[in-house]
Amino acid sequence: MLKKTIISWCICLLVFEGFGQGISVRFQDSTSLINEIKEQESIPNLFFRFEFPFTEARGLFLSDSSFSWSKTDSSYISKPFTNGKEIDSLFLTLPADSIDLKFFVFEEKSDIKGVASYLETLHDTGDFILSEDQQRPEKDLVLMASRNHYEPLDEYRNKLMSDKGLFSVTLINILFIILSIFMIIFMVIFKKKRNQREYNIKAFENEIIEPLTTILFEKSLDEIKEMTPEMISSIYPKQIFQKRLFKKVLIDKIIGLNKKMKGDFKDKLKVLYKKFGLVEITKSNLKHRHWDNVVSGLVQVNEMDLTDLLPLVKEHSQSSNFHVRSQAGATLLNLSEKVDLKFLRDQSYPLSDWQQMHYLRIIKFVSSSKSLNIPILFSSENQSVREFGIKLVRMLGRVDLIEELHKINKQVLEEEKAELIKTYDVLGAHMEVDFINQCMTSDNSELQKEAIKSAGNLGNEESEKIILDLLNQDPDFPTRKILLRSLFKLNKQTFEEYILTHASHENLSIQAHLLDPVLNHV
Amino acid sequence: MKKILIIEDDLLISSLVQFRLKKDGYETVLVKDGNEGIDAIDHQNPDLIITDVMMPFRSGIEIIHHAKKNHPDVPIIVLSSLGEEEEVVLEAFNLGVVDFIPKPFNPNELAIRVKRVLR
Amino acid sequence: MYNFLFYFLIELFGVAFMILSFSVVIIYLTIMVLSALEMRDFRKKNQYADYQDIITSPIAPGVSIIAPAFNEGSNIVQNAKSLLSLHYGRFEVIIVNDGSKDDTLQKLIDAFELKKTDYAFHPEIESQPVRGIYKSPNKSYRRLVVVDKENGGKADALNAGINISQMEILACIDVDCILSSDSITRMVRPFMEETNRKVIAVGGAIGIANNCDVKDGTVTKYRAPETTLGRFQVIEYCRAFLMGRMAWSRINGLMLISGAFGFFKRDLVMAVGGYFPKTVGEDMELVVRMRRYMEEKRIPYKVSFIPDPLCWTEVPEDQDVLARQRNRWMRGTIETLQLHRKIGFNPRYGILGMISYPFWALFEKFAPIIEIIGLIYTLILMIIGDFSAIYFLGLLLMVYLLSLMVSSFSLLYEQIAFNNYKDKKDLNRLIWIILLEPILIHPKVVLWAIKGHIDFIIGKGGWGKMIRTGFKTAEDRKNIETQSNSI
Repeated sequence: MLKKTIISWCICLLVFEGFGQGISVRFQDSTSLINEIKEQESIPNLFFRFEFPFTEARGLFLSDSSFSWSKTDSSYISKPFTNGKEIDSLFLTLPADSIDLKFFVFEEKSDIKGVASYLETLHDTGDFILSEDQQRPEKDLVLMASRNHYEPLDEYRNKLMSDKGLFSVTLINILFIILSIFMIIFMVIFKKKRNQREYNIKAFENEIIEPLTTILFEKSLDEIKEMTPEMISSIYPKQIFQKRLFKKVLIDKIIGLNKKMKGDFKDKLKVLYKKFGLVEITKSNLKHRHWDNVVSGLVQVNEMDLTDLLPLVKEHSQSSNFHVRSQAGATLLNLSEKVDLKFLRDQSYPLSDWQQMHYLRIIKFVSSSKSLNIPILFSSENQSVREFGIKLVRMLGRVDLIEELHKINKQVLEEEKAELIKTYDVLGAHMEVDFINQCMTSDNSELQKEAIKSAGNLGNEESEKIILDLLNQDPDFPTRKILLRSLFKLNKQTFEEYILTHASHENLSIQAHLLDPVLNHV
Repeated sequence: MKKILIIEDDLLISSLVQFRLKKDGYETVLVKDGNEGIDAIDHQNPDLIITDVMMPFRSGIEIIHHAKKNHPDVPIIVLSSLGEEEEVVLEAFNLGVVDFIPKPFNPNELAIRVKRVLR
Repeated sequence: MYNFLFYFLIELFGVAFMILSFSVVIIYLTIMVLSALEMRDFRKKNQYADYQDIITSPIAPGVSIIAPAFNEGSNIVQNAKSLLSLHYGRFEVIIVNDGSKDDTLQKLIDAFELKKTDYAFHPEIESQPVRGIYKSPNKSYRRLVVVDKENGGKADALNAGINISQMEILACIDVDCILSSDSITRMVRPFMEETNRKVIAVGGAIGIANNCDVKDGTVTKYRAPETTLGRFQVIEYCRAFLMGRMAWSRINGLMLISGAFGFFKRDLVMAVGGYFPKTVGEDMELVVRMRRYMEEKRIPYKVSFIPDPLCWTEVPEDQDVLARQRNRWMRGTIETLQLHRKIGFNPRYGILGMISYPFWALFEKFAPIIEIIGLIYTLILMIIGDFSAIYFLGLLLMVYLLSLMVSSFSLLYEQIAFNNYKDKKDLNRLIWIILLEPILIHPKVVLWAIKGHIDFIIGKGGWGKMIRTGFKTAEDRKNIETQSNSI
């Protein structure tokens, strides 16, 4: 309540400022003001008196007690009246032409402008109600009054939040309700469909396994090749086989089996794939506009050796999508007549471990049947490709390529040297011991650690000396541990001597570790 | 009739193997994880165990351990996708398995090995 | 004059709340959109990943699983066995017995034929003294390492495990978690994928195992929990993992990886000095510190998130236990934000400083306080009579509907992406919880969080001074002797 009064006062102040002493808006002139007063039974702190000069004095009405005239310096003045409605009747008893009406606000004589502004103020505070408003029915009146009363605050609030705020809140609410209802309905429908789908997949899987295994075992590859479309379509009930989902499950099952099978089973599965007409699905996948479908098409081509579709695959090898590009590369690698690693060498983006894993699997697979030119990877501009090349030598166990690796010993970066040393270690390349010894003193701690480790397997007397040297430089604990382990592997006697002469707590605990049979490889 | 226990979590593989072995006239028991496997070893008295290495709950190595400890005479063939990890192969052989077949594999080849072991 | 000030403040608060509530609406809508995009991409990508390949590939990184155990005697052997049977080529399982008072260690020794070894290691990260390191001569348990140490809390136990770990990726988990057998393969994938950014950590979604059938280390049948609190947490976890974290990972702003299931790059954990045992929010604190380290070193990096259901845990359905958990979470959040105050609104820290940190401060740390202030504000308005009921109801409805929408959206996600709760009855139950949660449970959660604030202020857990001054740099933690002043 208080707040509103304060604010209303502020606003009133503003009004006063703006209009000064001028007649207010509601009372255009003094006549309308007096007419208004004539309509009011009383106005707080406002009263009026009648006045007339001595010269006009007539004994006749001075004796009228209802006015109780009193005498002033220059005139007679009546007692104060408050009821405006009496004005007219009072005037009737007086000689109209010389009588003057004087207004008093808070007992102070006031001119007509002063009265106007006073009424204005009262009106704004709600203490004065215009006669026309009073004439309305009672209910409305209360409403009016109260509304008037709140007006200044409402104006203030409007700016911040009130109506627009309420409107937007309602709008958002409606939006939320619609969205929520929509979502719940969607969820229920979706769930039903999805459960049905999962149920179908399960059912289809069971449907597929029996006949598929029977064919795989009962029929030879040639027999499968000879199968007529009628025989094929009799394998599975027609109405199921027509379903897209069934075909999808069938594809998944055939590909899944193919991954885990060897020998003529693979060939049988591939022939069956074509016989079932699943190639059409692969083809449409490859042309699909969503990349995930394209990738699944590529996977199908790759797994099922669909060499007829290779031209379509090639189109994807420069795709901007990483998944498509790498799957297309893998497929080409797998299916091309000649394995050409050039595309890998020329790759400009770094090879992630994920891709390396992918390529490794394929290269491993094709390496037995096709010749690979791994050394071209060593000349790549791309560091990660070079590293991958070195790893390939190690993971494929290509001892014959050690000489090729030797050629790049000097020119590669430290990280690659670490890969080189790991490879030498795994392949048991004793001839590279000088290189390893050299790297044992590298500033690159990764490289140094690899070198020390492999020195344990491939090292010579020179390596022993370096290890002892390094041990004397007070290495950190992890380095000390691998140094001692390598020394232990190289020469037990030197190791024992070293521990005896350097019987620190650290050395002794490492010795205990190395001698502990349970910790053989830890 | 000889009874073969197949412990393998991939239904497709196991049903394929089962189909192939049934054709050769063996009785087969199929279980799909390590726990059921150990249970079956103890209660089904199989003549041969074919087991995967990576399975839910208990690894194949643990199963081999259990079988060798409690039924040392039952031969074991390991069927594993861990083929590349020589550590596992060595360990399996150390534990006394008769054969180690890496996936991908040929079910016919498996059948021949089974025949040889059970002869 | 005072009156005027009072009303002026009331108006000011009104405007502030208005702005806040509309920004909440906008933020949540943004989160919904971002997470939807991320989920779509993730699912597409996942379709073609050959996870079988990772198991055997020599290129895949090695993983050290570190699981602290404290008084877990009843289940420890079972838990260790299921960890050992995870499908992966190169990994080790390090179980850290954090000074258990029961027979945890003995049970492990018996079950796995463990022998105490002379394992030599250097405690690069400080931790409570290690009493012994056990391994089994039995080859089938060769992956298992058991560390026995003095009690020092979860973070301390993890630190001890990290010191001994040998692989390049650390998987820090709760020992009682149920892990899906392919969880490692899926979680290491992000580490292998990126080339231009370094992946420093990968978080995983946590499922709720209450009332579900668990067989052979995986949840075989999902069922909604029996209690309201349990079901509420299902919704909450969906919201947090499928929506919140997905959205954050989209803009690479993830600040929290659940302590129950998180993968980290070991060299980086070492570089920042491991977990900070002085905070109850050690999981969040480590991620923030690692991120901060990368920002300070100006190395491009990423924190990834995998929404696949790979890890399940039993959540507390008891009100008191849940209250304590929420209290602790709140304190953890406050402490982490305090420790890393420096990054807040600091453009040097990129998204971390300009988006993630302010969001956490406003919507996680201060949210309950703001809610309480809002409540008081409304009461005051009612008392002084300056209160528009329509307006109030409108806003209330808006907030309620927003919560409804966000919750049902995240449940929708669950249904689209994984469809684990297959039974229609379960779905109905969960929808009921969505409808009731804002009225029944939310007030409690707010209260628990407020309790966390109070406990933080009165210094429960009190590492007072340290947390008040905060870390000057990410590497600062290494300079702090955590043992000396903890006694």
